[in-house]
Formats: sequence, structure tokens, C-alpha cells
Amino acid sequence: MAETVIQVENLSKLYRLGSIGTGYFLQDIQRWWTTAVRKKHDPFFGLNPSDNAPPSQKGLWALHDVSFEVKQGEVLGIVGRNGAGKSTLLKIISRIIRPTQGAIRGRGKISSLLEVGTGFNLELTGRENIYLSGYILGMTKAEIRSKFDEIVAFANLEQFLDTPVKRYSSGMYVRLAFAVAAHLEPDILILDEVLAVGDAEFQKKCLGKMNEVSRNEGRTILFVSHNLQAILNICDTGLWLEKGKVKQLGPISQVANGYLTDAQKFKFSQHWQTPEEGPGNELIRFKKVELVPQLSHPDAPLDIRTPLAVKFQFWNLSGEAHLSTNLVLFSYGGECIFDLASPNVLCQEGVVEGECIIPGNFLNDGSYFISLYVVKDTATPLYTYEECLSFDLEDYRGDIRWYGKWWGAVRPIFPFRLEQAEPVLY
Amino acid sequence: MPTKENTKWDWEITGKSNWWGNSFTELWLYRHLAVGFVRRDFLLIYQQTVLGPLWVLLQPILTLFTYVLVFGKVVGISTGGLPPVLFYLAGIVLWNLFNDTFLGIASTFRENAQLFSKVYFPRLIVPFARLSGYLLHFGIQFGLLLCVLLYYLVFQSIKLPPASGLLLVPVCIILTGLLSLGLGLLFSIITAKYRDISYIISMVIRLFMFLTPVIYPVSYVSDKWRWLVELNPLTPLFELFRLALLGEGLITITQFVYSCVFTFAVLIVSLLIFNKQSDKLIDII
Repeated sequence: MAETVIQVENLSKLYRLGSIGTGYFLQDIQRWWTTAVRKKHDPFFGLNPSDNAPPSQKGLWALHDVSFEVKQGEVLGIVGRNGAGKSTLLKIISRIIRPTQGAIRGRGKISSLLEVGTGFNLELTGRENIYLSGYILGMTKAEIRSKFDEIVAFANLEQFLDTPVKRYSSGMYVRLAFAVAAHLEPDILILDEVLAVGDAEFQKKCLGKMNEVSRNEGRTILFVSHNLQAILNICDTGLWLEKGKVKQLGPISQVANGYLTDAQKFKFSQHWQTPEEGPGNELIRFKKVELVPQLSHPDAPLDIRTPLAVKFQFWNLSGEAHLSTNLVLFSYGGECIFDLASPNVLCQEGVVEGECIIPGNFLNDGSYFISLYVVKDTATPLYTYEECLSFDLEDYRGDIRWYGKWWGAVRPIFPFRLEQAEPVLY
Repeated sequence: MPTKENTKWDWEITGKSNWWGNSFTELWLYRHLAVGFVRRDFLLIYQQTVLGPLWVLLQPILTLFTYVLVFGKVVGISTGGLPPVLFYLAGIVLWNLFNDTFLGIASTFRENAQLFSKVYFPRLIVPFARLSGYLLHFGIQFGLLLCVLLYYLVFQSIKLPPASGLLLVPVCIILTGLLSLGLGLLFSIITAKYRDISYIISMVIRLFMFLTPVIYPVSYVSDKWRWLVELNPLTPLFELFRLALLGEGLITITQFVYSCVFTFAVLIVSLLIFNKQSDKLIDII
């Protein structure tokens, strides 16, 4: 069994909300007097979260009682929603901030990369910046000098070495910054969201480099990313943080799956009891809108393979009429993906019901919303229910070893043939 | 792996911060970073300027002109037995060292908040680099002072102080540097915590210059107010600097000892406070 290189024990971090310190010079002195000199409890901020004061005065526990261990050579992926405490955890392990309670013990040199281009200065040349950011990340002059050519080659910026970085394109900037970081040789590497930047090709290169580093050189990596696909491919173990606490710790596939299904548990359906409550006008009132994923089993994540059923009911208050409904799907950016019309049907006054199925393996991954239009005689819009449903589709790649963002509004599977037509004969 | 192996760790991070701060070995590991910062600051000041590094010399020269004109000719403050140019230049050069270093170090947290919140390195590296950088500036300006002194020796045949006194010149420079480091560290913490204080500082330091014998010799101050000027720990250093270099200055052993004790006391207290507070400040800035 590999030895433990990081041990996190009952780690907690309290952030005070509102004004920092007591805000008053005199109170700060009084506080220092009671806590540091007389060794009594803090008169202004209690440390015990179970104290009965309201949380607004107590502050926010960014991390609360987090404990875990990391073994040598392990790649730990940390997932969680915004504000779950991922960055706080990485900052404490990187020694940037101190925990309020608890301890972290470890072995070996740590380097952290919480941002691409830390310490870069726009006015300086690429060459100067390689040295400066190398020093800041903890490299020695000899180390940088010996790897200088490798770094430049990795970033592919030979011609621009003596150009000030402010004239670089953003892609070049990121390449250079990551190239320096990729050549760090710590025992433990800490990465936060670094893959969120850079073009797809470079992302792939970076992931490849990370894989190589952890597999071949036995380096321990702690990795935070919103790119679940990248985490799944690189990490062995997953740590799921929620509201500062450990929700799940285990093999990455289990943790990622748990996180995904949980992330999608928001409401897909809306019901209204009476026409007065439902959205609409004097002609149409909606009774129900519902998105029902056709999942293979209840815990499966909602990804691009999942067929989706959109079900709706509305009260027709406009008397006997020929009605049709358009289902319009928009991407998160507001771009219309499709506008689908139902058959035109003669309806009486009362409840009208409809259902549409969006097949699996059709939409690309991303966030979408749906609007419903009720139309009379295929010409007169009666009511438009904008953005009545929204949903996220997660990515699924199967065996594809490509982690960049997949292009396109849709990702259908069409019949596609590729085969050797004529082998070369020797 | 035997479990007892697991009880041995290289490092531990807890909520407690240490008065003694980083070990010297850790600071030494980051020495290249300090050099890198000095280099960066130097390159940045003169990037895309017409005169480049000449600015280091131009600033004291322009100040010198102003002082000679305003305080020497218009107001007519005595410079003792020394030629005004030499007198003022010596004062300006040493004051610049104190002023620039102090203000530079006092803004450590405000200027590096972004960097400090993203990567760890011993925070003391930044003030040390600032001090080294301004000592470098001082070296260049001091060279100018020596050139002017040489001119006066050759063409104006002023009297030279005994050469043995020259040994005291570096002492003055080091003490001034250390005092500005100590005060700078202290105020870097204070201004990070209480932001309003940073607005006052630059004004206070300008007034402080008038309590320091930069534009006048201590001997010129009336007996009634001399205690106020002598309370300033910089006063003996400025007087000694001129005495050792130019042969005129008013200083007693007691005053010199006072300066030394004050400087080291401030430096030690500031270092302790800096070590204790610098980690906690990241949450605030």
C-alpha cells in the first residue's frame, strides 16, 4: 500500500461575514486582550458553530470538519457546487490561508496552481516571465534554467520570447503560463480550474501531461474542475464537498455519478390547481408543464443519451377552436435550436394535453430551456409561455479520448461508415 | 508500510501562526524570488520611458535644484559651513532611501493582494526585495553624491573630513535602511487592516521630513525646539552621515545609541508582528 502523503484532520475554516475584524480599533485591542493575553474566549466571535447566536453574526463555515487522506501517487478530484469550499480547501493545503481549526500534515514539497499566470507581469517579456513565475511557484534558478528550452517548446512560443507578454494573444499567454507550471516538479501538485482556459488542443496537451506526470512519476495531484469528463479521466479518487462538508469520498466513478444525479434534482415540473393560478391569459391557462427524463434507472445521470419527454396540460378558455402548440428549444445563450409544431387539433373548452419526446443522442451537452406557444388556426398566437422548463445535459463520451468542448448545437448519431477501401500491397 | 512511519511528517498546517515565522532556511530557498522581484521592479519602472534608468539620477537632481532655489536662495536657510549643493544632496539621497523604502514596504499587502491570495511563498521576501531594490537605487544616487563631492574637492578645494570617519557612512546607510524596513513592516500590517491609515501615511511622511535635518542642519534649530528634532531617531543618522562624509554635523554618542536602540527595537517588534499577522491578513485583503 502506498504511504499517506497528506492527512487532513477535522479541518474547519470560518469566514466572518460583513465587516472584517470588529471594525473598530478599540474593540480589536479589547479582543486581543481577552483572547491572547488572558486566554479567554473571544468576546466578539465564538468559534463553536453550535453556539446559539444567529449564523449571521457567527460567520460562514466554508469548511467544516473535513477529514481525508491522500496516498502517494493518487490523483484526487474534488467536486462540488460553487461555494462548497473546494477553493478554500486548496488554499489551506497550499498554505495561503490558515484553517480556523484542525490540521493538515504532509510529506514532500507542494506546488499549487490556483490560477493560470500567477505572478505574470504584462510589461515583461516572455523570457522574464518564465523566470519570475517559476520563482514564485517555488522553482530555483538552476531548475528553470535546465528546463527553459523544454518550457518554451511546450508553449510553442520560440519566436515571441523577447516580446512583452501584453502583446500576446490570450491563448499564447495561457500556453506560456501553463508551460511553466507543467514543468514544476513538486511531490504534490494542486490544481484549481486550470483547464477552464486555453483552446481545446492545448487542454488536451495539458491533460496528457498531467496523466503522464501522475502515472509515470508517481506524483500526487489534487484537482478541482467543473469539467467532469476531465476529472473522470484523470482522477482515481473523488471527494465531493457540499456546504463545507464531505458528502462522499471514494472511487471517482461513484463520486462523480452521485454528484451528477444530485446536481440535477431540481424541479422539472410545475402544477397549478385552478385556472386562476396558472400562467396564461383569458384564452389559455397552463395547468401543468413537466420534463420527464426516460432514465434507464432512477440514479442514472441526465446526459446526452437520455431521451426527454415534455408533458403539458392547459385549460382552453377560448371555446371551440383549432389549436396547435409549438415547442421551442433554446440553448442557454438564447439561440433557437428547433421550433417543433404539434398537429393542429379541434379542441373544446376544457383541459388539453400534449406530449413531445426529444430523443436521446440528439442534443449536445449544455444548458437548455423550453418555451411553449399555443396557436389558433396555425396562425394566431394565443399565449406564449416563455422559459417554462430548463435543464442541463451532461456530457458523455464513452471511449472517446478527447476532452475539449464538443462543437455544435446538436450531437446526433447518424449512420456513418468508415472502412479501408484499398489496402496498400507490398 | 508500518503505521509508525505515518507519524513522521515534513510539515503541518494548523490554525496557529508563529511569532518567529519562516525559518531562515526557507527564506534562503526563495532567495532567487527576491532577486526576481528586484529585477522586475527595476525593469518595470523604466519600461517605455525615454530616459530609462537615468530617472534614478534625475529625481534627486531636480529636487536639489528646487531646494537650492527655494530653501537656499529664497528662504535663505543656513547650511552651516557647507556648500548648499553638497549639503542638500546628502540629505536628499539619504531621505530618498528612507522615504522610498518605507512607502514601498508599507504597501506590501495592498499591492500584492492578488498574488498573495493565489500562491504561497514567505511573505517577508517582498519587503526584503523592496529594501534591496531601493538600496540599489541609493547606490546609484550615492555615486552621484560622490561625483559632486569630488568636483568640490578638486575645483572648490573644500576641506576633507578625516578618512577614518568614512567607516561610519555605511553604518548610517544600514541603520536608515533597517529603520525604514521596520517601520514599513509595521505599517504594511496596519494599512492592510485599517485602510484609511494608508491615505494619511504619505502626508505624514512628508511632514516628517521637516522634522528630519534634510534641508537644515540641527545646529540651525533654536534651542527651544531642538528636543523635538532630536526625538526623531533619523536625526542622528542624518547628522552623522554629513559629519562622516562632509565634515560637519552635530551628534553625541547618546543620540547615536538612541537611534540604534530605537531602530532594532522597531525592527524586532515589526518582524514578530509581521510573522504573526501576515497569514491572517490574506482573509481580509
